[in-house]
Amino acid sequence: MKAVGARLPRYDGVAHVTGRTVFVDDVRVPGTLWVKALRSPVHHADITRLDTSAAETMKGVHAVVTWQDVPLLEYGHLSALGIPADEPLLAKDEVRYKGQPIAIVAAEDEETAMAAVAAMKLDLQEKPALFDVRKAFDADAPVVHQWGNWYPHFEAEMDRRQIRKGDIDRAFADADVIVQGVYRPAAIEHVPVETQSCQVVPEANGRLTIYSCTQALYFSLGVVAAHLQVPLNRLKVVGGTVGGGFGGKVDTATETMCCLLAQKSGRPVRWRWTREEEFLCSSTRAPWHMEIADAVTEDGWILGRKMLTLHDSGAYARFSPYGLTKHSFHHTGAYTIPNLHFDGYVVFTNRVPTTAMRGFGVTSVSFATETHVSRIAEVLGVDPWEIRLKNANRIGDTSPNGVAYADPSTVPVVKALADGVGAKLAPNLQAMTPAAREGDLLPEHLVAQIGNPEDH
Amino acid sequence: MNLTVNGVAHEVESGPLTSLLDVLREELAITSPKAGCEQGGCGACTVLVDGVARRSCLTPVASVQGTEITTVEGLGSPSDLSPLQQAFTHHYAAQCGFCTSGMMLAAQAYIDGGGSDGHEAIQEAIAGHVCRCTGYVKIIDAIAAVARGDEFDLTVTASSAGMVNLGGAV
Repeated sequence: MKAVGARLPRYDGVAHVTGRTVFVDDVRVPGTLWVKALRSPVHHADITRLDTSAAETMKGVHAVVTWQDVPLLEYGHLSALGIPADEPLLAKDEVRYKGQPIAIVAAEDEETAMAAVAAMKLDLQEKPALFDVRKAFDADAPVVHQWGNWYPHFEAEMDRRQIRKGDIDRAFADADVIVQGVYRPAAIEHVPVETQSCQVVPEANGRLTIYSCTQALYFSLGVVAAHLQVPLNRLKVVGGTVGGGFGGKVDTATETMCCLLAQKSGRPVRWRWTREEEFLCSSTRAPWHMEIADAVTEDGWILGRKMLTLHDSGAYARFSPYGLTKHSFHHTGAYTIPNLHFDGYVVFTNRVPTTAMRGFGVTSVSFATETHVSRIAEVLGVDPWEIRLKNANRIGDTSPNGVAYADPSTVPVVKALADGVGAKLAPNLQAMTPAAREGDLLPEHLVAQIGNPEDH
Repeated sequence: MNLTVNGVAHEVESGPLTSLLDVLREELAITSPKAGCEQGGCGACTVLVDGVARRSCLTPVASVQGTEITTVEGLGSPSDLSPLQQAFTHHYAAQCGFCTSGMMLAAQAYIDGGGSDGHEAIQEAIAGHVCRCTGYVKIIDAIAAVARGDEFDLTVTASSAGMVNLGGAV
């Protein structure tokens, strides 16, 4: 513990306050071209014609790239983990969200690049769009994605994350009260002050140097190499200086397209998204739809939980299967509920694809669970601190996916919160620790779930 | 057209309606003013024009012909930090650093105008400067420290050696 509380140097602190930090868009290479993209103006459509010839012959335009120029068109951010690819780098025959890139251009200056985009001819056959995850399962819902309206490729080709634990029917039969709630946190745009930006310099030896604002340099390296079908040693990614990311710069949003333009033009290229592009076309935190029904006793024990989660993935999967997996493991929040029936779906809609943002998958269920526990306390007329501390995770309790907790922090955190807001806890609550359950804190319904932390 | 930037006179070739931001970044390669929104909304492009904080993205270069422009490079250098640069370093007021240049120039104008260490007045002075890392508390602390005339021991925080060896297993 030599760092906590100590005054330490920031390795980039002096550079920040003297204007010396070189962010991606501050790299200056002579002869650099500007990049702009033709993006879908609608939420959902078939592409019936794309003609870029007028842009290609325009004075000052050095390269135009469409889906035909991409060696491997579809590659997924989680492909390296065995999750199949679903998203084309550039749209081929269908656009599935407003702002989806269709063609990109590199030109002498920003104005010429914009004029080239304007000169591209795009004909679309617009189709009905889906925005509400609750309607994705309807028989007459628009079909959003080539795999259907929800992700079908979890392990063993399951179409959901499913958790069954304990005896849910008995929990609901034994309950005094069933408390229900629906929770729908909205999408959030990360809004980094530095918009998505990238520069790529083709080197004399054939390598590409990529200046990237990515938060996940090795993701970007792997994704670019796969799309380009080149070995990793043909790429040099310069990263580490990020003008705000918050999860939104985990996606490889710009690097691959800039590489293709640098290869085709033989010139350095530079792409800096406008603020409008950042808002409309960059990924967001996902909106979620969560339905909870808890079987509870009059004295504040939560016997069982039935839960349905619809995770709005937007038009493509990206990191959402991973986010939903985390969500399912954490779907009881900081509390131990022994009997569970959980179904979670990654649902596709015609919104911009969603991605990582600060604890994604878990923040949504924390919000839902905390709100729901307060609702239970209100329904029962029981002290909300008491409900939290009785049901708090303790040593030896098991998580929804069966992991026994070795060092759960719910009890000290709840006590610190009570202290922080000046709430006076009853003496039996104030005396609580995270120690393994016994006595009054080990009612019959919690016995069977207990596990051995050393097994994990 | 002529511009003086951080004390250096420049002959500018960009057209008269080019934004001051583009002239600084693209023609003169002075990159500390940032293109965060190019709509006057985020404050990251702020520079001082004859001592007044201005959004360079909304300022046609012709309108500042003959003026003295100050960017954060002009406040001080790594070996000779200005009081505000010292304060931002001491109080860790820069996180990702992208809003820092604009934020510091708004703060410099506030200090030069005799601003106090009152938090509400400082909040008013940096209103319209977006820090999405939400480091506002440290930023306000740093500006207040300069307004008070605090002195800073920067032997650790501004160590040119970079990362110190914390000793043992880190």
